[in-house]
Amino acid sequence: MSISMALLSPSTHLPSLSPSSYPKPLLTLKPYLSLRPKSPLFTTKASAENGAGAPGSAATAVEAEPKVREPAEPVAVKSGSSGEANGSAGPAAEVEVVSLFEDARWVNGTWDLKQFEKSGKTDWDAVIDAEARRRKWLQDNPESSSNDNPILFDTSIVPWWAWVKRYHLPEAELLNGRAAMVGFFSAYLVDSLTGVGLVDQMGNFFCKTLLFVAVAGVLLIRKNEDVENLRKLLDETTFYDKQWQATWQDETPGNPK
Amino acid sequence: MASATQAAIFGSLFAAPLHTKPRSVTIRIRASKSSNPPIVGRKLRAAVIGAGPAGSSAAEALAAGGVECFLFERSPSGAKPCGGAIPLCMLDEFDIPARLIDRHPNEFIAMLRREVLDSFLRDRAQSRGASLISGLVTSLEIPTSSHAPYVVHYTKDNARHALAVDVVIGADGANSRVAKSIKAGSYACAIAFQERIKLTDDKMEYYEDLAEMYVGNDVSPDFYAWVFPKCDHVAVGTGTVCSKQDIKVFQRAIRARANAKISGGKVIKVEAHPIPEHPRPTRVRGRVALIGDAAGYVTKCSGEGIYFAAKSGRMCGEAIIKASEGGERMIDEDDLKREYLKEWDAKYITTFRFLDLLQKVFYGSDAAREALVELCGDEYVQRMTFESYLYKKLADGNRWEDAKMVFNTVGSLMRCNILGKKMEGLKL
Repeated sequence: MSISMALLSPSTHLPSLSPSSYPKPLLTLKPYLSLRPKSPLFTTKASAENGAGAPGSAATAVEAEPKVREPAEPVAVKSGSSGEANGSAGPAAEVEVVSLFEDARWVNGTWDLKQFEKSGKTDWDAVIDAEARRRKWLQDNPESSSNDNPILFDTSIVPWWAWVKRYHLPEAELLNGRAAMVGFFSAYLVDSLTGVGLVDQMGNFFCKTLLFVAVAGVLLIRKNEDVENLRKLLDETTFYDKQWQATWQDETPGNPK
Repeated sequence: MASATQAAIFGSLFAAPLHTKPRSVTIRIRASKSSNPPIVGRKLRAAVIGAGPAGSSAAEALAAGGVECFLFERSPSGAKPCGGAIPLCMLDEFDIPARLIDRHPNEFIAMLRREVLDSFLRDRAQSRGASLISGLVTSLEIPTSSHAPYVVHYTKDNARHALAVDVVIGADGANSRVAKSIKAGSYACAIAFQERIKLTDDKMEYYEDLAEMYVGNDVSPDFYAWVFPKCDHVAVGTGTVCSKQDIKVFQRAIRARANAKISGGKVIKVEAHPIPEHPRPTRVRGRVALIGDAAGYVTKCSGEGIYFAAKSGRMCGEAIIKASEGGERMIDEDDLKREYLKEWDAKYITTFRFLDLLQKVFYGSDAAREALVELCGDEYVQRMTFESYLYKKLADGNRWEDAKMVFNTVGSLMRCNILGKKMEGLKL
């Protein structure tokens, strides 16, 4: 209850999930379009050049938005462009042609998953790679954006198991390995020092605490920098609160009126 | 008559011992209504320095409550560089008429010009009985004994004047002179820089019902850039805390990003202003209280300050009315802290804290910003966000959807961070 309260106080950046639409790119278009009339733009794309060739339906859906977007609603994180879909767009006369993101597989503001097929199934790793390259490109070459060519791709299109297989599992293997090594040697050490065997150690409060610390340590401290980072994180989270409470710290005995 | 005097004696009998009670305890039990001495022959005098939304609201509350109020403003016709967006609840709570608003889609944010809003609020305060003084306050003299008045030194029409008052409210903005006088401490500021650009009619049409916000390292490393429509032009700007010296670079970047939509426009004004990032270390000292930007009441993440300025002004004014019982009694620092600061903190600290958390999480890196954009695609999120923002109240949610929202936030952040890490290893 309190969690949702905290989540729902005035803010503009509440998280959510785009309509779950994992392996079907076509479906993603619909939910987005239906959101249009009510939702402020959150992704806008386009290249200046593509203004003329903007996909008609997307444009009308976009213009239909009657609402002023709330100032904190992000419009374009990275402006992307629908490169191929419109063919090579006619260059706008007055604007300098900035090189846009172009890729044969980037169609209409999203990745065409059919082009990522490998032995009959979508090669999600390749999709992830392609998306990373696109974002990197945009980071280095920010583009002018418009609502006419919206970006429709987002990371939730790639199914969860593809992420898990590629990124979680190797890391999990690493961490489990570390935990096992630390655990084994700690158990051996405690046994040699105190004579308490493994089974008896599990029943002892101090040993259980050590176990907890070891697991937490393995999880939280994965690189050397993490120790410093965690401390800074803790400071940061309490800093703002300290600033608010500062005015109340002034209470000293006998303060004058 | 006799009983009245008896009551008065009784009252003062009670008052005296309580007055001398040691102040080392923070909890104080008062048996009488108030231990403050009544003022004889006049009402409580208050000076409000600064007549923006905060000052005007405070002056209005004070004047309406019976306190003699002086409202100081150094440039009544000035236009504060500002986004100019106010939430719906402000329209209701402060009775802002629709004719002041430039863009008013009937549900969401209202955008108006600051000079229009400020002069409306100021005039209303005046009509309630506040005395408007157009002059520049140069210094505030702190009294050496309790109950002695504060003296406000100001220049008006090239002549120096002084005014003695009992209570001072500092509403003079981010570079508050009042705050300096009471040694309230300083705060970190962001700088907001914007250019007002007049567009051709067809380009203005695009912004008929649209305000835009841009995020990315190119336009701001820790804030956002915006294109906000005004009556007949757009304000294109950006802000930052940590890289103030690069603000011009960021401004060029936002111009580039919005190029297609604003090209061919003429820059009619360039303005910049500091935005406080957090409250000052001391917001009340003696019989001086700070409100609005002077106190640092600007939310993180959205940088919203107008509503909180006006609200804090009103709450402070009402606190003084209550503590002084309609201007009849003198007040002290504890009254201000109890009636104003405590109420304010209790009401809004969660809001401010939450927005600070969001800023830290979502504005920190490009990967996080990507996650933010992804998350804002969901309609439930948008609805909750808007309703909470507009009415400054927890919107009615559905627990299941909330849980989904949290889950998806974490998911999006994780995925985008993974992509971010991958991006770092790439060289295109």
